[in-house]
Amino acid sequence: MAIAETEVVAQSELLDVHQMARFVIDGFIEFDDLIPDELSEAVNADELASVNADGPIPEVRWHITDNPHGFYERSAAVRAVHNLPRVKAVLQSLLGPGHVASHSALHCTGPRQETAQQWHVDAGGRRQVRLPGVHPWSFDILTAYFAHDTPHEMGPTLVLPGSHMRSVLGPDVARYKNITGQKRLSGKAGRIVFMHEALWHCAQTNEIDQWRFMFKIRYNPRVPQRGIFNTDGWDSEEIRRYFRMNKNAHNLTGESSAVAQERADWWRYLCGADELADPSGTGAHGDYA
Amino acid sequence: MSPVRQQILILHLQSGDLGSPTVAWALYDGALPADAVQMQTGSEYEPPYDSVLAAMRDGWRVFQASPQPERSAATGTGQLANEFWLERNVEVEG
Repeated sequence: MAIAETEVVAQSELLDVHQMARFVIDGFIEFDDLIPDELSEAVNADELASVNADGPIPEVRWHITDNPHGFYERSAAVRAVHNLPRVKAVLQSLLGPGHVASHSALHCTGPRQETAQQWHVDAGGRRQVRLPGVHPWSFDILTAYFAHDTPHEMGPTLVLPGSHMRSVLGPDVARYKNITGQKRLSGKAGRIVFMHEALWHCAQTNEIDQWRFMFKIRYNPRVPQRGIFNTDGWDSEEIRRYFRMNKNAHNLTGESSAVAQERADWWRYLCGADELADPSGTGAHGDYA
Repeated sequence: MSPVRQQILILHLQSGDLGSPTVAWALYDGALPADAVQMQTGSEYEPPYDSVLAAMRDGWRVFQASPQPERSAATGTGQLANEFWLERNVEVEG
């Protein structure tokens, strides 16, 4: 089933510059209050009905060609979640109008699962290693929706904030096990996280006696991702200060100055601003960096 | 004499100084049987050693270091730099 988004959300409903700046720094943005409790309870009931003693039932087992949207087609509640106006507003802010859901999957982790997934990046990696012709600042969005409470010990997805700025191929980060700054997406039922496609992540062990579910959709943009959120104040002193204060955010092994420069370029692109001239000729324009 | 097995500890440091802080770590333990659980992603939030030097003081031997990172606009930012491989041999039940 193609899930093309054709409606256009009003500008006032879109992400603002503070939220988008946070996304640029961290590579993801999370919300606890977008989805009504009763809807999450209905999704969780559908999730629990999708597993048995053998694991996920065949109808929800993901396959890119044969079953790319199994749970989405099966659960009216999960479709309702992703069609909520506030959810659609976030998606449009990040992807623009007309974005398409490439595939979706219900991730099911059994009770007392002792092994975790390896660190990886979905579908290839960051923009420099993608196919020629792909715009350097284009990105897909992965949503991670948790319909039930997911405390730390239940092992919700682990992410490495800021890792979306690194150029790696998908499985090449599997050598790493634990990294300073790693964060489990723990939270209450109804949490939904919107992740940049290049964010390093992995499913975690489950230390308790319940199934853990995470429902994911990968969305592709269909327009250039610039000027598609509420850009009011994009060049304000407050935003400039925010980027300056976060210059060293997520710096691990000395890459902060290079990353800060890239963020500045990306921010100008996202906001629809022109490329900044570099009168010094040094490559360091200093804007937001 | 008990057989000996190798343990590998991979540390990534904030800078190229072997005394600089550990920012990533992984242990691959050759002494564990095949059905035992090795170190998993997200299993620890504090490094086992503050630095490579601290690990050396505890008996770990450094046997490989990553080359100095070559960084430029063309190469961008990728894998973690300042990677050190350490080993320790431990006796296992024969």
